[in-house]
Amino acid sequence: MAEPLLQVQNVSKAFAGVQALDDVSIEVQPGEVVGLVGENGAGKSTLMRILAGVYRPDRGILLLSGTRIVLNSPREANLHGIGIVFQEQSLLPNLSVAENIYLGQEAAFTRSGIIRWPALHAAARRQLEKVRVNLDPRTRTVRLSFAERQMVELAKALALEERTDRPLVILLDEPTSVLEQREIDILFDRVRGLRNRASFVFVSHRLDEVLSVSDRVYVMKDGRVVAGMPAAQTSVPELHQLMVGRELHAQYYRESRQQPPGEPIVLATEGLSAGRAYRNVTLQVREGEVLGIAGVVGSGREELTRTLFGFLPHTAGTLTVRGKRVRLTSPDQAAALGIGYLPRERRLEGLVMPLPIVPNMTLASLQSVLRAGAIQIRKERTLAEEWVRRLRVRTPGVDVLCMNLSGGNQQKVVLAKWMNARSKLLILDHPTRGLDVGAKEEVYDLVRTLSEQGLAIVLTADTLEETIGLSHSVLVMRDGEITARFDAPRGAKPAQVDLIRHMV
Amino acid sequence: MPATAVPHSKTLAADRFRSFAPVLVLVALVVLVGVLRPSFFNPESLLVTVADTATLFILAAGTTFVVILGSIDLSIQAICSLASVVVALLLPRYGYFGCLAALAAGLLAGITSGILHVWLRIPSFIVTLATSGLVVAAALLLSQERSIVIDEHGRLLLSCITDRSLGVPNVIWIAAAVAVVGAWTQRYTPFGRYSIAIGAGEAATWASGVRVNRHKVIAFACSGVLAALAGVLLAARQSSGSPTLANELLLPAIAAVIVGGTAITGGAGGIGRTVVGALIITIVRVGMTFIGINIFAQQIVFGLVLIAAVALTIDRTKIVIVK
Repeated sequence: MAEPLLQVQNVSKAFAGVQALDDVSIEVQPGEVVGLVGENGAGKSTLMRILAGVYRPDRGILLLSGTRIVLNSPREANLHGIGIVFQEQSLLPNLSVAENIYLGQEAAFTRSGIIRWPALHAAARRQLEKVRVNLDPRTRTVRLSFAERQMVELAKALALEERTDRPLVILLDEPTSVLEQREIDILFDRVRGLRNRASFVFVSHRLDEVLSVSDRVYVMKDGRVVAGMPAAQTSVPELHQLMVGRELHAQYYRESRQQPPGEPIVLATEGLSAGRAYRNVTLQVREGEVLGIAGVVGSGREELTRTLFGFLPHTAGTLTVRGKRVRLTSPDQAAALGIGYLPRERRLEGLVMPLPIVPNMTLASLQSVLRAGAIQIRKERTLAEEWVRRLRVRTPGVDVLCMNLSGGNQQKVVLAKWMNARSKLLILDHPTRGLDVGAKEEVYDLVRTLSEQGLAIVLTADTLEETIGLSHSVLVMRDGEITARFDAPRGAKPAQVDLIRHMV
Repeated sequence: MPATAVPHSKTLAADRFRSFAPVLVLVALVVLVGVLRPSFFNPESLLVTVADTATLFILAAGTTFVVILGSIDLSIQAICSLASVVVALLLPRYGYFGCLAALAAGLLAGITSGILHVWLRIPSFIVTLATSGLVVAAALLLSQERSIVIDEHGRLLLSCITDRSLGVPNVIWIAAAVAVVGAWTQRYTPFGRYSIAIGAGEAATWASGVRVNRHKVIAFACSGVLAALAGVLLAARQSSGSPTLANELLLPAIAAVIVGGTAITGGAGGIGRTVVGALIITIVRVGMTFIGINIFAQQIVFGLVLIAAVALTIDRTKIVIVK
């Protein structure tokens, strides 16, 4: 093999005590398309951000053509010929295509402080030709389709050619998650055609895609690279096995504590639909039951959970909560019905971070500490201390600001908030995201405790393993519809491969 | 694990300093003015100073409810003036009903701002600027663009405001009542709690099932009513109402809130702090008058004080983008 264009050597990175990357090494040959796969939280995005100059590694080095480089900012990464196409598109919709492609680089087209538009547009047109897109560079970006914008992003990354004489490395961070199949085919076709101009690192969790476009594949798991091989020598099932890898030892998910659900139905939907997000969802959750919903991005499961807490009102079908037919148009209605929500965006929607533990715990149930309309400060405090003890929140005291708690302890405070509100139905939206293994296990323990107390739980988890391990039954969704239902009783859990078949 | 849960002692000390700084500044200013002008320390002079603070404080107290949300109310000055006009117009014929009408006008203006703000999702800055325009126009129309003198009969009615009880001017008692009720509301009622929570993390508060919009409207209503109350007091003390009566009060009022230590970004502070802030502003004003600074030039100082207070009270490392 020739000398690698880009080498990542022994890179580690931790955030607030969570090891996001642990001694990761990969390399990219000139003109190569490298696929990077792994479950959510495996460290793919962190690695990409390090390559793009957004984060700096705690340990380890980057080599470009054998020379060590240090990237302090995305701009420095650009100057080394490394460009990124983000998962969430970074184009500014109110600017024209040409302005977006050369955002920040206008100086090259400026004479005496005035931009020479014809030169800028001609240059932009050259970039668009590289990706074979026939667009007027003067078009406002807001008028482009999603796929067209993706192409403009790619053209923008390719425009780096003019700023550096290094060979380009272009990072594609989940570029296909919102594209249609035909658009994906076009994108891949372009990527293959551009290999004489650039190397690519391609991140996706759709394994078939990764195999079809990549020359080589790296598999990441829990912040480590667990395998790397030519794409031709592996298969989707093998990659998947490597990704989830850990043998499923039942005790990790506290399976022995899983009890059969009770009789009364807490939540029922029939033919529930919300616009184009999901259709015709029929499900039931009983007291003490954990219902897991599996599905990839775009399957509609995220939107479904948002509906159950009033963020996204349904447009058709029926939603019945504890015997009452309802349509939830805001979270306060959901909370009033005894629904609690543990959000994926813990820092944004879960807790009021700059406030102490006490007011956060009673935020959803202030009435529990009111007397004659006034908050009983001492009672509230005692209540919070009680929850801290029961859930074993590790904190020096209840006056500690939530922003100073670790992720796992923050999650416990969110759970305490809903337990104090006597919720009967809990929506757990990625409850272990960003937690380390120990904190995850504590959350699993709590989930079991909650179901023993008769709470109904709807779970969307980060990993399939977690979904299966915690749930009594699992729904699989794809493209907004339920494609399969599995029972997952203690000791007879379905296999991941069976679920995957219905997911993709 | 517990190690990560303990806040950095240095930031803790900085936070402590931030919360005590206004009181220290107040004490330093009182001493400074007292040294320059020993007569400032005689009881009568102190009482007059505090009485002069009362109107400004009540105006600022109302805004505090809004600033805690992370919003702002720029219409308080206009509402204050309108209330003085309403009182002056209605007092001769309708007596105390005129005072109630003035407060109702303030309530209406506040609720209007609040509803427009949450319903149309327009920044409070713009909504209250617009409301301010409407209110000023109403005041100008009602007063036919002149100041309305309150006659002997009216002054007699308003003597309950201008008199003294137990040797202390009644405006001070009224302001003290506002301070106590306001501080109690913020500490002990769900509305007060939710206001802090909204200011500190609106998304999480909403996702906890709190009716965020309703509490925002209540905050603007409080602001409107208290601005109107300030207008009634001002009219009583000046024995007149005028559409420009409260001009030049907006800047000192907002400065009082911020100088007291309520964060302009919301989520921290309270009316107790605004008491200190309002006293600081008044003493700065008194000091400047002693030195002989023109009353209009004093606005320059209030502007500088406001900028300095915001710069000192906000922990800008936590804010990425400032618009």
